[in-house]
Amino acid sequence: MKRKTRLLSMVLGSALLVSLLTACGGPGTDFDGTNKASGDSDTLKIYTTGEYTGENLIENFEDQYDCRVIMEYFDSNEMMYTKISAGDAYDIIIPSDYMIERMLNEDYLQPLDKEIVTNFDLMTEDSLGLDFDPDNDYTVPYFWGSVGIVYNKNNVSLDDLKKEGWNILQDTKYAGKLYLYDSERDSFMMAFKALGYSMNTSDDDEINAAYKWLCDVNNTMNPVYVTDEIIDNMINGTKDIGIVYSGDASYILSENPDMGYYCPDQGTNIWYDCMVIPKCAPNPELANEFINYVMTYESALDNTETVGYTSPNKEVVEEVTGEGGMFEGNEAYIPRSGFAKDEVFHDNEYLRQKVAELWIKVKAGSKAE
Amino acid sequence: MKQFRSMAYPYVIWIAGMILLPMLLIVAYAFTVEGTAFFQGQFTLTNFGRFFSDAVFVQVLLRSLRIAILTTIACIILGYPAAYAISRAGVRSNLLILIITLPTWINMLVRTYAWVGILQDDGILNSLLGLIGLGPFQFMYTDFAVTLGMVYNFLPFMILEIHTSLSKMDPSYLEAASDLGANKTQAFLKVTLPLSIPGIISGITLVFLPAVSSFFIPKLLGGGQYVLIGNVIESQFLTSGNWSFGSALSLIMAIIIMLSMFFTRRLDNNREE
Repeated sequence: MKRKTRLLSMVLGSALLVSLLTACGGPGTDFDGTNKASGDSDTLKIYTTGEYTGENLIENFEDQYDCRVIMEYFDSNEMMYTKISAGDAYDIIIPSDYMIERMLNEDYLQPLDKEIVTNFDLMTEDSLGLDFDPDNDYTVPYFWGSVGIVYNKNNVSLDDLKKEGWNILQDTKYAGKLYLYDSERDSFMMAFKALGYSMNTSDDDEINAAYKWLCDVNNTMNPVYVTDEIIDNMINGTKDIGIVYSGDASYILSENPDMGYYCPDQGTNIWYDCMVIPKCAPNPELANEFINYVMTYESALDNTETVGYTSPNKEVVEEVTGEGGMFEGNEAYIPRSGFAKDEVFHDNEYLRQKVAELWIKVKAGSKAE
Repeated sequence: MKQFRSMAYPYVIWIAGMILLPMLLIVAYAFTVEGTAFFQGQFTLTNFGRFFSDAVFVQVLLRSLRIAILTTIACIILGYPAAYAISRAGVRSNLLILIITLPTWINMLVRTYAWVGILQDDGILNSLLGLIGLGPFQFMYTDFAVTLGMVYNFLPFMILEIHTSLSKMDPSYLEAASDLGANKTQAFLKVTLPLSIPGIISGITLVFLPAVSSFFIPKLLGGGQYVLIGNVIESQFLTSGNWSFGSALSLIMAIIIMLSMFFTRRLDNNREE
């Protein structure tokens, strides 16, 4: 009996030790031995969302730099953050603005090596010098865009959209015909904008009003909450209204000419996804090389033509929106600028917790008996 | 037999590292304040308070139980006759069992995605119905789709369990019953059915448990608005980052599952007495 308990405590102890050691530490403490000193210099680990890279981007990089790239995908920034904070090591991560702000505040990122990353003059002005990193010391934009409404031009009147803005989601004329994006951030953003609030508010009354607004949508409009299924379904014209990121919208519009894209005057979210290098990256030098490589014309063109999201590369934007370009005349490709009510998300722990808590309640209410 | 005891050690180690330790962590998280950092140390009951004070979460739990019970009943109704027929099929029963288990060779997620293609508005089922002038119907994102997905995924477990207990039954019991004057229905109700109850009960355990905590079947076939308790737990870990509340929910689930297992076992024991 005694032996058994000792064995058990040994096992528990070593399991605990392993879990502590795998947390992101300084050089030399990584459990699997991949630290900066002895790291395998030929492997680059990238953590990004799915279907977010050009079709030849990775292969070409592997050829040019004689290395191997391992891709891993996350469903949401929050999921990525959970993994990074649990100690998983990657060389490149491509998160969104507010999450980068959070990771900078919590000291998860390392500065870029500007000896290697030199292609800044190729980028558009709109995508550089963002609030969270004014001198681009840590981040290089990868894609950017807005959030808006994709609508079937045959069944939804543009006048209604212009008059009602986000409130079209409460117009029972369109009940049962809408897809919402299953993300608390984007859903609460619409609600805040519909009510005329800032989407970075910490005011409880405003948050509750937004919660009520979403419950109303949920209870009167019979919406379906999906994520990437929205793209195929809008191309097929299954429903008439969908909340979509501009990059997905430009793809939908290029596949189905009946669809249009509209951002309400009440304001929307302008977002930026950027490449960053976490502190515990096993191979920061190759990571810097990769970032510089993605900024080039060929890589950026491959990315935007494959994925459909807005490129931060000047020449590429001119090329694809110009005559004969892939996104010529596509109203979703270039995010609008100059709207005072458009906002970028900021890291706001209070709001984040609050909307996460409320969002599951909005959705759970829909099938309440 | 004592000398064989040491052969169980690898499994003891496995259990300690892969089952016991995570369970202890869940308990530890459930009773501490929220956050993803390892042990913030403060004992609290707020995670449980939050669950029971909010009608929405209790509703979600009830909905999960309802869908799981519905799934289990459907599996018994569909599975019992199938298992009965297979156990009577003689030499062909091995082949039939193979056919029943064949789908489980393919990943569950892939099979569930296939249902999306069948059930969606312009999917296979609606095109077939369209040929005979019916529909299109909305199958996706309904109770029907979710229950169907669950029954489809978990039915083989029910059939296998019932089949195992039926095939172990000595056929001479039935001969004895008929010698004593019982007709076929009576023999089934008095002999076959009672002897197969242990199989039904293990089948219930194998169907009910995964059904009540499943999160990807409701997510794929029910849409994001189809929230079951498994989805709430998933969102606490993956999107809200509130591991403490997620752990408390898991713990509540575990207790409910243990209670339901306890009562089904009791049912079984009572019958034997």
